[in-house]
Amino acid sequence: MKQVRKQYLVSLGLSVLIAMLLGAALMLLTGHNPIEAYGIMFSGALGSMTDLGDTLYKSTQLAITGLATAVASQSGIFNVGGEGQMYLGALASAWLGALLKGTSPWLAIPACLCIAGLAGALWALIPALLKVKLKINEVITTILMNTIALKFCSYMSNGPLKTTERGINQGTQSISKAFRFASIDLFSGSNLTTAVVLIVFIILLVWYMMNRTTTGFEMKLTGQNESFARFSGLSAARLAVLGMLISGAMCGLLGMFETFGVQRRFRMDFSSEFYFDGMLVAMIMQYKPLGIVLMSFFFGILMTGGQRMQYIGVSSELVEIIQSFIIFLMAAESGLLGKVSRALTGGAAKKQEVKT
Amino acid sequence: MDLGAIFNLSTLMNTINTATIVVLAGLGCLMTDQAGMMCIGIDGMMTAGAFAAVIGSWLCSSWIMGLVFALAVGLLLGGFYGLFVIRYKSDEFIIGVALNIFAVAITTFLLRSIPGQSGSFHPATGAVVKLPSFSIAGSNVSIMVPLSWLLVALTWLLVYRTPLGFWLHASGEHPESLRSVGRSPERMKYLGSLACGLFCGLSGAYLSLGYLSTFTENMSASQGYVAVACVIFGRSNPVYVFLAALLFGFIDAAGQRMQGIVDPTLTATFPYIGTILMMVILAVRYTAMKKKRA
Amino acid sequence: MSQAETVISFRHITMAFPGVVANDDVSLDIRKGEVFALVGENGAGKSTLMKVLYGMNEPTEGEVWVRGQQVRHFSPANAIGMGIGMVHQHFMLVPSFTVAQNVVLGDEPRKGLFCDFAKARQTVEDLVKEYGLKVEPDDRIEDISVGLQQRVEILKALRRGADILILDEPTAVLTPQETDELFAVIRRIVAEKQMTIIIITHKLGEVMAISDRVGVMRAGKLVGVCETADVSERILASMMVGKEVLLDAIERADSGEDGVAIEVEGLRVRDSRGLEAVRGVSLTVRRGEILGIAGVEGNGQSELLEAITGLRPIESGRVSILGKRADGLSPKAIRALGLSHVPEDRIATGVSVKADVTDNLIVGKERRREFSALGIHMKRGPIREYAKKVFERFDIRAAGLDTAVGSMSGGNMQKVVVAREFSFDTPVLIISQPTRGVDIGAMDFIHQQIVEKRNAGCAILLVSADLDELYRLSDRMVTIYEGEITGEFKPEDIPKTEISYYMTGGRKEARA
Repeated sequence: MKQVRKQYLVSLGLSVLIAMLLGAALMLLTGHNPIEAYGIMFSGALGSMTDLGDTLYKSTQLAITGLATAVASQSGIFNVGGEGQMYLGALASAWLGALLKGTSPWLAIPACLCIAGLAGALWALIPALLKVKLKINEVITTILMNTIALKFCSYMSNGPLKTTERGINQGTQSISKAFRFASIDLFSGSNLTTAVVLIVFIILLVWYMMNRTTTGFEMKLTGQNESFARFSGLSAARLAVLGMLISGAMCGLLGMFETFGVQRRFRMDFSSEFYFDGMLVAMIMQYKPLGIVLMSFFFGILMTGGQRMQYIGVSSELVEIIQSFIIFLMAAESGLLGKVSRALTGGAAKKQEVKT
Repeated sequence: MDLGAIFNLSTLMNTINTATIVVLAGLGCLMTDQAGMMCIGIDGMMTAGAFAAVIGSWLCSSWIMGLVFALAVGLLLGGFYGLFVIRYKSDEFIIGVALNIFAVAITTFLLRSIPGQSGSFHPATGAVVKLPSFSIAGSNVSIMVPLSWLLVALTWLLVYRTPLGFWLHASGEHPESLRSVGRSPERMKYLGSLACGLFCGLSGAYLSLGYLSTFTENMSASQGYVAVACVIFGRSNPVYVFLAALLFGFIDAAGQRMQGIVDPTLTATFPYIGTILMMVILAVRYTAMKKKRA
Repeated sequence: MSQAETVISFRHITMAFPGVVANDDVSLDIRKGEVFALVGENGAGKSTLMKVLYGMNEPTEGEVWVRGQQVRHFSPANAIGMGIGMVHQHFMLVPSFTVAQNVVLGDEPRKGLFCDFAKARQTVEDLVKEYGLKVEPDDRIEDISVGLQQRVEILKALRRGADILILDEPTAVLTPQETDELFAVIRRIVAEKQMTIIIITHKLGEVMAISDRVGVMRAGKLVGVCETADVSERILASMMVGKEVLLDAIERADSGEDGVAIEVEGLRVRDSRGLEAVRGVSLTVRRGEILGIAGVEGNGQSELLEAITGLRPIESGRVSILGKRADGLSPKAIRALGLSHVPEDRIATGVSVKADVTDNLIVGKERRREFSALGIHMKRGPIREYAKKVFERFDIRAAGLDTAVGSMSGGNMQKVVVAREFSFDTPVLIISQPTRGVDIGAMDFIHQQIVEKRNAGCAILLVSADLDELYRLSDRMVTIYEGEITGEFKPEDIPKTEISYYMTGGRKEARA
């Protein structure tokens, strides 16, 4: 087991390295200096407290979306629809937030948290039910439902829920000051708000659920072998649906954190496909919670710094390219890097075993 | 509501135009489906194809070169998909989804890097040559439309009438049976992946050069996933897939005609809702059929 | 006959796979126009050797000569070119294609670019006429019986011009009538067409009935080749097993428990294809008793057990466990009545290969008070301790408790399943194929555990394809054929040869 884990880490390291080299090659091809660009990337992500704040902001975002993917995947259902769930959570909370304007934040914030989670979970419930009841492929339904949710949110925020504030031409009513997640002084100027406390709390809670509770254990078994789970007397379908509900609720909540934090209102452009970035991290780390959290920090650096690379004309999409390269390299692990990493971790012993 | 406003010539043209995008991609997905793989990555292949078509047409001032570029990129990505799924036995959904994200990222990256543009590609008017089109009853019709119909027929013939089509299907349904008669199922699967890439390249070229001459970021707008749904709905039969694509195109066009009554952003969701409903209907019917048989 | 020319010659074939040597220095000559039977137990290396001949395996060492020419290139295409055809145990047919399409697959007659269907159909009809193997060219494979599917396989080989035909366990899936028909076909094509037939089997009766010569394999080695006329089933059997492995008798004791624990009445169940697989089965198992179900695989045993344990819906009939109705309940609810289950396919349903030993041992018990607080928080300490105890008690051999079950041997994997299910300590046990693919040491251990459970008063329903196992363990046996119970016996009252008569459709006179 240890041998396998070590091998995995080595091939992960190699994949990251090769992917970054490929990214560098791409920059060379498009006439940029990769050393300069990567330099800017790292200093832009870690150079000041503000930068660090942004990096932490991005990392927690990746971690929560990554874990949302993982919760669903571990119970055997692939949630590609987190983006839509997040938008609906954001919109629902923005609507309720505006409605409850003037009431106590002790009432309003929990209520908004609830409705955001609920909106995300319910939107995720549809593909989950279609999957377990009718065996309809959830990858396709969740993707299509993303488009539906986004168009719906666009309609609502430009129509019925459009702000009436003067001088603002997009988004819903602004969230009243009393409800907002404030920015943190230590990281002033960054996007990091007090919502980070809630995000970390959710991450810990989900991690605990997945690794230390009976339900998490049963969900994992369902994802690993559904007929074994059924055979053992577990309600496999119910567990898969539960995984999807939790995943959807997490996405919905993140939508609210964005709306009540950085954005201060629902805006159609609040996310640049956050969910997919987190999903990629989860895929790279094979849906292992701890690995996702650690990898999120690494990609938080890449993505935050990646934004700074735009100053020298390198598009921030480079980070997503590097991410997908890593997935391809890891997916081909058996063929491409397997040999190398086996050699590096002393896999020679294994060969002898084969001969006897 | 005046039904005449919905069912008219322009709705028909819109139906056909949208359906053409989906059916071309659908034929690609069908080639992998026949060979026992479900290529979710067609959305990315379309995006990349659309981008390559615009670049090719722009660089060489020729739509033919646009088409060649799109086909070449499609072939490359199809081979790439095949390599991972067939050779390395990677999870086809993970590779498909990663391919889609990769395609959007790399096209956006290149778009911003090469011509120094962002959002969409709009060089001087006339610099990008569109695919040829002809005019019927005052409407412009791209040559890709009749070509796609021809391809539906050819694919049908290939799948149901030629040895190659049988081998392709056998490599998906029971690969060992093909191997035992001395034919390589892997080769067939590669063929399916490459053909998938070619069809998606065509679909992409039509997307960017059919009526427009621009490429915008994330241009496929998940229509690749719709195509996958059509293949499932059409049970991998080219003719049924074509009909499913037409249905999708019609819902899309009818939605556009209803824009006077319903907000256009909302009508834009109709085809996607329609696609999901289509899959639900099929699944319900299938379960009912199985119950009956039992 | 003895002067006939040699068509195939294996010379010192060794075939090594990672971890196993499937063929060890095998040399064998096959003569033209003979029916050669290759016998041996499961895993003796028969199929591996034939796959070498058919080009699906490239031997690690050694040479194959066909009609005086050395085989240089190992591939099915090449084997077909040399006139070798193989009918695999698992048919190589595309279910959704027609008979004709399957017969010509890979080498279709063409008309221009297209497949010439008329000609394909004609080809099949010609073959049917020539060899007397009746099939309908336009039927779909998925709609025809297994016996007919086998004919299609044979026709496929014949169409390719095969005059050497390898049949891998051809009768495993056939009814007795179908077996007779197959043998008639074999005799005819050998007599009329001078074909050479190699038949792989482990049924000695069939060897005596059909073959001219017989080769016996054991543990990868060819231990002997004889003229069939010179040997008896008894001699062959002893050659197959080598020294008879005698397992010690297991001590039986009376637990004093009595009363009916499992009661099945008029049970009807459909299989996954919607066909009736269990047709009105009734049986009872009392506490402190092992009831063995004997039958050729595929006669409804799997469906019967799945129905009793709630994994498969019941058409009609009644199941009671310990006096409580169990039909229509979920697997979970049935387990709660006091039943545990060792399934026939451990990898598909018995374990999670990705999870470690501890996880696999704890499944189903994780909500017990000693393993989780409030049924939520899992107590890792007690779980580990418990797993360690079970691990040691059931003598599971693995690097440790955190070893992924998928990396363990079949025998140890099976011990994990048995350990988990047996330690539920339920009064009812449903056990299917407890020792399939398990080495002899682990087998003996598992047998001991089963009898111990019986002695402690459990009611055990046992299904096995291994007659020796059933004889060793059962207190009572019933035979099942095509979803119906065909007889009930005490193992000591009936010899194995006679019971197989009931397993293949013979019927005991109705008992009062």
